Amino acid sequence: MITESTEEYLEAIYNLRERGDAATTTSVARELKVAPASVTQMLKKLAKRGYLKYTPYRGVTLTPKGEKTGKKILRKHRVMEKFLSNLGLPKSRLHRNACELEHHIPDDLERAIYQRVEGERPLPPGVPSNVVPLTSVLDGQKCVVSFIGGGWGASQRLADLGLTPRTEIKVVKSALFRGPLMVSVRGTTLAIGRGVAAKVFVKAE
Amino acid sequence: MPTAGRKSLTVALAGNANVGKSVVFNYLTGLHQHIGNWPGKTVEKAEGTLYFKGHTIDILDLPGIYSLSAFSIEERISREYIAIQKPDIVINIVDASALERNLFFTLQLLELETPMIVALNQVDVAEGKGISINVPELQKSLGVPVTPTIATRGTGLDKLLDKAVRIVKSKEKAKPARYGREIEEKIRRVTKLVEKIPIKYPPRWVAIKLLEGDEEIRGIVGGIDPKIVSATEKHARDLERIHGERCSTIITSERYNIANKISRGSQRITPPKGPTLTEKLDAVTTHPVLGYPVLVGVIFLTLLAVFTVGGHLSGFFEDVMEPVRGAFGGGAGELIGEGLLGGLIAGIAIVLPFILPFYLILTVLEDSGYLPRAAFIADSLMHKMGIHGKAFIPFILGYGCNVPACLGCRIMETERERTIAAFVVTLVPCAAVTVVVFGLVGAYVGIHWALSLYLLNLAMIFILGRVAFKVLPGEPMGLIMEMPPYRKPHARSVLKETWMRLKDFIYIAFPLIIIGSVVLTGLKVGGLLGPIGSAMSPVTVGWLGLPAIAGVLLIFGVLRKELTLVMLATLMGTANFATVLTPTQMIVFAIVVMYYIPCIATIAALVKELGWKKAAYITVFEIAFALLLGGIAFRLLTLV
Ligand SMILES: Nc1nc2c(ncn2[C@@H]2O[C@H](COP(=O)(O)OP(=O)(O)OP(=O)(O)O)[C@@H](O)[C@H]2O)c(=O)[nH]1
Ligand SMILES: [Mg+2]
Repeated sequence: MITESTEEYLEAIYNLRERGDAATTTSVARELKVAPASVTQMLKKLAKRGYLKYTPYRGVTLTPKGEKTGKKILRKHRVMEKFLSNLGLPKSRLHRNACELEHHIPDDLERAIYQRVEGERPLPPGVPSNVVPLTSVLDGQKCVVSFIGGGWGASQRLADLGLTPRTEIKVVKSALFRGPLMVSVRGTTLAIGRGVAAKVFVKAE
Repeated sequence: MPTAGRKSLTVALAGNANVGKSVVFNYLTGLHQHIGNWPGKTVEKAEGTLYFKGHTIDILDLPGIYSLSAFSIEERISREYIAIQKPDIVINIVDASALERNLFFTLQLLELETPMIVALNQVDVAEGKGISINVPELQKSLGVPVTPTIATRGTGLDKLLDKAVRIVKSKEKAKPARYGREIEEKIRRVTKLVEKIPIKYPPRWVAIKLLEGDEEIRGIVGGIDPKIVSATEKHARDLERIHGERCSTIITSERYNIANKISRGSQRITPPKGPTLTEKLDAVTTHPVLGYPVLVGVIFLTLLAVFTVGGHLSGFFEDVMEPVRGAFGGGAGELIGEGLLGGLIAGIAIVLPFILPFYLILTVLEDSGYLPRAAFIADSLMHKMGIHGKAFIPFILGYGCNVPACLGCRIMETERERTIAAFVVTLVPCAAVTVVVFGLVGAYVGIHWALSLYLLNLAMIFILGRVAFKVLPGEPMGLIMEMPPYRKPHARSVLKETWMRLKDFIYIAFPLIIIGSVVLTGLKVGGLLGPIGSAMSPVTVGWLGLPAIAGVLLIFGVLRKELTLVMLATLMGTANFATVLTPTQMIVFAIVVMYYIPCIATIAALVKELGWKKAAYITVFEIAFALLLGGIAFRLLTLV
């Protein structure tokens, strides 16, 4: 059984990496709003359990096992945020409540909620959902916008630029060093920073 | 106004960023708004007047926006202007090569129910992309007149204005497009409620904004009748239940569906065979690996070209001007000969030769569309300073002049990011600093030293940017920017733009250079140079190892940085600086000029953008930093 705080850590580290920031004791501490000293301890513990590799003063890299958990929790977080936002909760509560819920939602329930949020009929049980953040789409690949993580200012801007649900888009290329993505949308080309792209969820074709 | 207003019309130019609004504005008014191939140049609305067939027409160039949601300051200003000030007509400039996205905005303008006309601009670019547009069909779908134009060539613009005036006379207003049945039903119900209250915006538009959850409109309506807001919320909830999405997303999607249908119905696309110019260039300039050497290469080739061309021009002008100087001498002649003429000659021989090629190259870069590519490549680097890649555009513009670059920092979304970006921009050596670096260090110590100073400068900017990030921490906003297609710079527009900038420069700089020279000569004749110089000598001589006269020069440099060098030439009566400064002194002097205090115009721009306090912090910091760096450089250089 994975503890809630393990999940929190893995999620935070995964999120940092996806945004293009280095995961270090300081950045994880800032992300989770806890003291760096306790972060160091916890990271060591997680390293021992095989979730990550940790070199003091250098930083953290997730093992495949850690990455899987981190990615799953982050996904649940975003789905819950979107769901709560659809329920009409004020923006100030979205993040906090999603943070609590993400640890208690079983995978199949999350998928059901996601499909409800998507306005689609549920897929047959057991079919893995193919929704991924835009950052994990390969260069040159086409995909279809599913939803944009709720509760933040830039989501309306993205929609205004044409990234509305069910729009087909193409990742033209992505810059090195966790730089931005070049995406073609409705006959135009946009540059989208990696942190922003991580909140755009798409279905790969 | 009311008496003269009978024949005076106001026309507002509105549309997406980078579609050609300012080109149209400049053509119609003969004014000179900033033009270039990157989104977000016009940050403040500009006004101009023209006379057309007996009418006095006030034309407004609005900042480019993608939507009328109150996401950015520009959007709020624009929608308020159009809905409340009510121009007589809105000319919606549309980029024909990206019709769907542009029509999304057109649909929102229609909802404001003002008289309007669509200028289908950039049809030449669209053709290049294999897009041909059926104008009558488009006109029919939108319900407002559409005129094809090619703004850069002036094609269709007179006709556009003619039609616009006729529409104003006919008092025809735009009719908003219809949404899907369920949404339309909700809009109708909310509109009914809104019609009962006094509000300056069109009721249907208010209803849509309420459903979208627009904070500002909710505030206004809630202040009059909170029941309308809560009733709307219920309707919005209903829609959300049906569609499973936020109401604002539903409406945005729906609007895009309409835009998509209209654009598909009125354009035919035959994709060109083979890659386009943009694709070919992008393969290199935004290549994940090659993009970086290209960026470095572009910057250094620019500097090298400026130095080479500038050096030749400078030598040429000097030979031509030298005999003139000799004609005056002694007594009262000194004030005129040395002050007035000396300043003028130095201005022409030292300053212009470097400014001219620099402006030319920057204009070509700006017009080509390379700047957004540079921003794309530099995004991750800029993140290290807590800002995103778009800041790289004002950064590059800063090499020309820091003032427009500071104003350009408005493309950054938050106050925090504008502050960091503007701070970084003031550290960029502008064309005036280039005059000092190349005219002094480059010419007398060696070009490699001059280029090293630029490299050092880049490193310092990066370090100080990171320090600023530490002082103003926060999550950087993510980059969201349109990448316009590359364009072959249009020779005539480039020359015109360069000439305009040069003219601005001459008008502002030359009077200052001449007045400065006369004042300086006056000080010299009056015997005041010595006292001023020695008052500052603990710093200039003691700490920096410069001659005492440097103090006076640095004071003049606050006005404009190239004055430091021009004044030196005036004082010495020669542009052969090797006779007055040692190589070490030249390098130290150039370093101090590079970093110390933004010039007065830049300080003014900083005050305007960031307020007094931040401007003062930046100024004081940069003076201290320049002195520190100069002192260290002096000590290191005397060691070797
Ligand atoms: N080929 C071509 N280029 C055009 C045309 N109209 C404008 N351009 C170019 O498009 C670019 C943008 O033009 P601007 O007038 O600066 O655009 P704007 O709409 O004022 O842009 P912002 O102020 O940034 O919102 C410039 O490089 C122009 O030269 C056209 O009809 N054909
Ligand atoms: Mg403009």
